[in-house]
Amino acid sequence: MASVLSLEHLGKQLPTQQHTWLFSDITVDIASPEITLIMGKSGQGKSTLLRLLGLLDTADDGTIRHLGKTPTEWGPEKWRMSVSYVAQQPVMLPGSVEDNLRAVSRLHKRPFETELARTWMEAVGLGEMDWSKQAAQLSGGERQRVALVRSLLLHPTVLLLDEVTASLDTISKRATEELLVDLHRREGTTLLWITHDWEQARAVGQRIWFLAGGRLLEDSPADRFFEGPQTQEAQEFLSAHLVQKEDAPCLP
Amino acid sequence: MSSMSLWFSLTFVVIALLLSMWQKLGLEKEIAIGTVRCAVQLLAIGYVLQFVFHTDHPIYQALVIAMMIGVASWNASRRGDGLPGILWRVTASLTVTATLTMSLLLVLGLIKPTPQYLIPITGMIIGNSMIVAGLFLSHMKRETETARGEIEALLCLGANKKQAIHGVLKRAVKASMIPTFDTMKTIGLVQLPGTMTGMIIAGANPLEAVRYQILIMFAFSSSAAISAALISALAYSSWFTRESMLRP
Repeated sequence: MASVLSLEHLGKQLPTQQHTWLFSDITVDIASPEITLIMGKSGQGKSTLLRLLGLLDTADDGTIRHLGKTPTEWGPEKWRMSVSYVAQQPVMLPGSVEDNLRAVSRLHKRPFETELARTWMEAVGLGEMDWSKQAAQLSGGERQRVALVRSLLLHPTVLLLDEVTASLDTISKRATEELLVDLHRREGTTLLWITHDWEQARAVGQRIWFLAGGRLLEDSPADRFFEGPQTQEAQEFLSAHLVQKEDAPCLP
Repeated sequence: MSSMSLWFSLTFVVIALLLSMWQKLGLEKEIAIGTVRCAVQLLAIGYVLQFVFHTDHPIYQALVIAMMIGVASWNASRRGDGLPGILWRVTASLTVTATLTMSLLLVLGLIKPTPQYLIPITGMIIGNSMIVAGLFLSHMKRETETARGEIEALLCLGANKKQAIHGVLKRAVKASMIPTFDTMKTIGLVQLPGTMTGMIIAGANPLEAVRYQILIMFAFSSSAAISAALISALAYSSWFTRESMLRP
């Protein structure tokens, strides 16, 4: 059976400096549905990588395939319906919360799954939200969760999550993680998830991609990555985090 | 108007030059180029029109109109610099707008099918459509940048190019048409427009001149709507790559 997602020698140059690679030669395969966490320092191209996979940006090298077919074979709209990107800075569409939730139904002339939308809104801690409220008035955390539910209603095979819990409080973050893991278990949705949150990576990650120096340095099961990373860079990255964590002031 | 009077009209340009020098605006070169170009272009078209009217041959009339469309398309498409294929898209929309509007004017018997009517009125229609197309492209450029997040959010939800850019397109079309309708609201109160002024100076009855001006303004309203609709339909895909990605 064809892989959920496969990347072959994928590379992207810096937009401002041609012939300087942000990352290159990324060859990796997600054979079956799983939760992959992408980690690495800032500026390694993690978001750009997800944008390439979500067909929002063009790769300068290599190919990507989803279920054995290239984006051209899928057609861009069909690809994006199956491999959907959720941005770090969520953008609300003009109108109310309901208008945003109904976006997929409106675009694809599908019936609106009211009950499912309500269930998912509740699951991410927005059960009490007034759907007639103007989306522009929502807080950053509310926007992030509404944008996530809006994308979930697309029922994609792969969800590309770009730090989607970054502006959430601990309770909302846990609730969102539970929803996504549950979705993966019940619907077999593959999650490709950028995070800087180690607890999150340990809690939900089945596999870790570690990006550094313009390369995908590690592609390991999560346990193995956290117990004994294979590369010097990943070891340094892990120890830096441990030092940071020990230095963090304890709140009463 | 005598040649001497024409030379005296340069007094107004000298006033502009002196003001620019006095205020150190640095516009002297612009004023000089503008003056020379304006005089040369108008004198040239005067001779061309005299020749075209005199020969009364459709091929020459078509050539003059083609030149007008060419220059207007080139000028409007500069607002969409960097967009692939924008020149032919603007050319197509101006050509269709001019053809449709003029056909309607002729079919309804509102103007006579003579070069004296066809060429100046077509020129005005093309000129107004050029402004609409240029405004549309400027607004689209600015709006697309501002609403980049909104467009990409829609693409991520599986929207096609048209669905993703629909909101931006609507705002740009509206913005490009507003000046035409604003002019219609204040015309005659603030300034007496060109056609009417020209006819009155040439000795026509003011009421007859006003009738022609109303005809022109009504024709502008339809040509603005047609050209905005056409340029938006033809050009929106220029903001995307072949893979339906929003251009950087």
